[in-house]
Amino acid sequence: MTLCHHPADEVLVSYAVGALESGFGLVVGAHVGACTQCRVKVGALEEVSGGSLSDLPDASLGAGALQRTMARLGRVPAPAAIDRRPLLERLPLRPRRWVAPGVWVAAVDTPHSRDNRVYVLSAKPGMSTARHRHSGAEFCTVLKGAYRDEVGLFRAGDFAAAEHDLEHLPVVLPGEECVCLFATEGRLKPRGLMGRIAFALADV
Amino acid sequence: MNSRAETTDDDLLIRIAGGDREAFALLFAKFAPKVKSYLLRLGAPGAVAEDLAQDAMVSLWRRAASFDPKKAKASTWVYVIARNAWIDRLRREKVQLAYRDLTDMSEASGEEAPDAAVAREQEETRIAAALENLPDEQRQVVRLAFFEDRPHSEIAERLSLPLGTVKSRMRLALAKLKVQWEQYR
Ligand SMILES: [Zn+2]
Repeated sequence: MTLCHHPADEVLVSYAVGALESGFGLVVGAHVGACTQCRVKVGALEEVSGGSLSDLPDASLGAGALQRTMARLGRVPAPAAIDRRPLLERLPLRPRRWVAPGVWVAAVDTPHSRDNRVYVLSAKPGMSTARHRHSGAEFCTVLKGAYRDEVGLFRAGDFAAAEHDLEHLPVVLPGEECVCLFATEGRLKPRGLMGRIAFALADV
Repeated sequence: MNSRAETTDDDLLIRIAGGDREAFALLFAKFAPKVKSYLLRLGAPGAVAEDLAQDAMVSLWRRAASFDPKKAKASTWVYVIARNAWIDRLRREKVQLAYRDLTDMSEASGEEAPDAAVAREQEETRIAAALENLPDEQRQVVRLAFFEDRPHSEIAERLSLPLGTVKSRMRLALAKLKVQWEQYR
């Protein structure tokens, strides 16, 4: 399936050079894993980076670095097994937290800056999440189901980046629960009592 | 990098896939200092960059069998392994999580319909009432979190409570709210 919503090129560049903040890189990776078009771009960027690697000045290694490394090599290299399960099954999730009827969140057990949050949110069909404003950047990749907001329709694999001060009201499409992987910077500013309660409860 | 050098790197990788340690030493001499240099540029402290450069080279040994010169250049392949070693390292380091999140339950439409707005207000009134029914010490914790958007660590500080107490009060409050909330569904 051709996806409609992709990260901006500068985001893909940061991703390919390993410079995205952790958590944010994970969300972009979730999209890239599902998107042929972006994989091709990232592959090209990696090739350029690989070429640049050879242009970097040599950093001096510690004494005996080669010997220490050689001592760790196994006898015969075996290809590493690749985990092909869907990303949602591979993500290390902390316990789900009830937020509202039909809605749960689970933090992703991955390191990130103290001010950021990385989590999976699931909402049942037809549910709208709290209208909220962003105090910082938010990256989101849909892992399952679909939602619609002011920008358009987002299906499994689609990527969304929200900017500061965007007022946002996503609504889950009927039929299937919608599960999204989020990385957010700073705190969201929910509107309304329900939103505030949901936010506060999830902070455990 | 010229094509002859690429061919050499390809050959080395193919020999490494066959378990050739001498080929590994040659590739190590060429790439390990570059990989460390790259990691330093990403912001890794010196000792971490050193460890990770070695980790990356061990990974390279383990994965050499999956190198396919028709699919990728050796330099690209080494680069990706180095970058992923950095990302994997970050993943292994546990950092305390602080996250919060959204949700509300209005009707399924792009724009909130007037009756949905009314329903939401009614819901909020019910929630406010539910909050009033909480014991004082739970309500105090909950109010700071709900209404002033304070992280739990800050509430603990403000109320001079251990963080664990704040969390358990939140949990109790949550359990009660959940029961009251779902009575209305
Ligand atoms: Zn894409």
